[in-house]
Amino acid sequence: MALTFLALPVLAIFLRVSPTTLVHELSDPVARDALVVSLRTSALAQVLVVALGTPTAYLLATRRFRGRNVLLTVVELPLVLPPAVAGIGLLAAFGRTGLLSTSIPFTQLAVVLAIAFVSAPFFVRTAVASFEALDPTLIAAARTLGAGPWRVFLRIALPLAASGLGAGLALSFARGLGEFGATIMFAGSLQRLTQTLSLAIYAEFARNFDVALAMGALLVAFSFILLLVVKWLSFGWTSPFRSVPSSSA
Amino acid sequence: MKLLAIFAAASLTGVFPQIDHAPKFQFAGSDQLAFQITQGAHADVFAAASPKYPQQLYAQGLCSKPAAFATNTVVLIVPRANPARIDSVYDLQRDGIKLVIGAQGVPIGDYTRKLLANLGLSNVLKNVVSQEDDVKYVVAKVALGEADAGFVYRTDVKPVGNKVFRIAIPAAGQPTVQYQLCIPTTRQHPKLAAAFVREVLSKRGRAALRKAGFGLP
Repeated sequence: MALTFLALPVLAIFLRVSPTTLVHELSDPVARDALVVSLRTSALAQVLVVALGTPTAYLLATRRFRGRNVLLTVVELPLVLPPAVAGIGLLAAFGRTGLLSTSIPFTQLAVVLAIAFVSAPFFVRTAVASFEALDPTLIAAARTLGAGPWRVFLRIALPLAASGLGAGLALSFARGLGEFGATIMFAGSLQRLTQTLSLAIYAEFARNFDVALAMGALLVAFSFILLLVVKWLSFGWTSPFRSVPSSSA
Repeated sequence: MKLLAIFAAASLTGVFPQIDHAPKFQFAGSDQLAFQITQGAHADVFAAASPKYPQQLYAQGLCSKPAAFATNTVVLIVPRANPARIDSVYDLQRDGIKLVIGAQGVPIGDYTRKLLANLGLSNVLKNVVSQEDDVKYVVAKVALGEADAGFVYRTDVKPVGNKVFRIAIPAAGQPTVQYQLCIPTTRQHPKLAAAFVREVLSKRGRAALRKAGFGLP
């Protein structure tokens, strides 16, 4: 029952019109431009998320300090915030009349920030968990052998946690692709600049339902693949890599 | 409990509850409301900011014969601080101005494009930074001070009068903005729906519309 309920709307996207129509509608300029905007902004956002999220996650996983739980909660907060709240928050912070009064709204950077804001927790959470799952004796051994904290991070922790980080990145990427509310409020919606696939679906659904369907199908396919990647990476990460060193210790 | 479902253009947000505060209102872009009605949404009355969608539904046999009930004019608004120093519609041609307009298909978006074409100012579209789904989002982005300017209806200005300045448009550019309403075939309370339509068209309804700044057809 539950499976049918969950699968039906997804299947319906593909069954409503023929696959050739779906592929054909993707050549619509609105869909093509939205795809380019989505891929570019998502890629940039995820670079930002990984670059800033990895060291943050490592510190949160390896250090114990006062307020750590509060920090963890702050990092996780966007996970449960309604996207509309994220949107007004970003405007209140980075808007022209906001706290920092920047000229970011209505630019592609605004889309990137909106995506990074809502998707970062997915990466950081998974990254914290995979750093925490590392065998502490390995780290300790490396330190005794004279490796500095940087070297330990780069040569031991990072490679061992890599598949976990990859899974987190895939999750974060999938969430970012679907970003809607924060983007439309903070970045607006303009073809070729800020109109991502999700925004284009919303803009087109009253005008050309088939194009909206085609973009929807594309997002479903992307998300499906990304979630498979997560499964594959998580499986490789929990079973062999982790159990071998800890049992030998 | 019988509650009318009134689907009305976003620009009617302020005035319709004054004519009758009892119904459930849904205010949004007329194109989206029309789409919902074609998808079977139960609307007792459909009031749009242009003849286009009521006439389309009528032609498809999805609503009664539309009646015109109001007119409006398009104006340019800028934030009170006027960061881009815009004094006339012609200033919009300058590079780097952040202009927000309605999306294509949304009545205000179509009127805006027509207005710019009438004035030979279609090149202004290069300065558009966002296309919104209904006029109230255009108003919000200008009132917030995030956009430098936006095209909205004259009647949208009053509620945000302390946050924006209104800039008049040369009469030659003004498109004909006419509101029409009809009773969709998906209506559930036909008698009450007809009563609401009569109320809008009545002396009292017309007075409320006029007070809110609408013109009368």
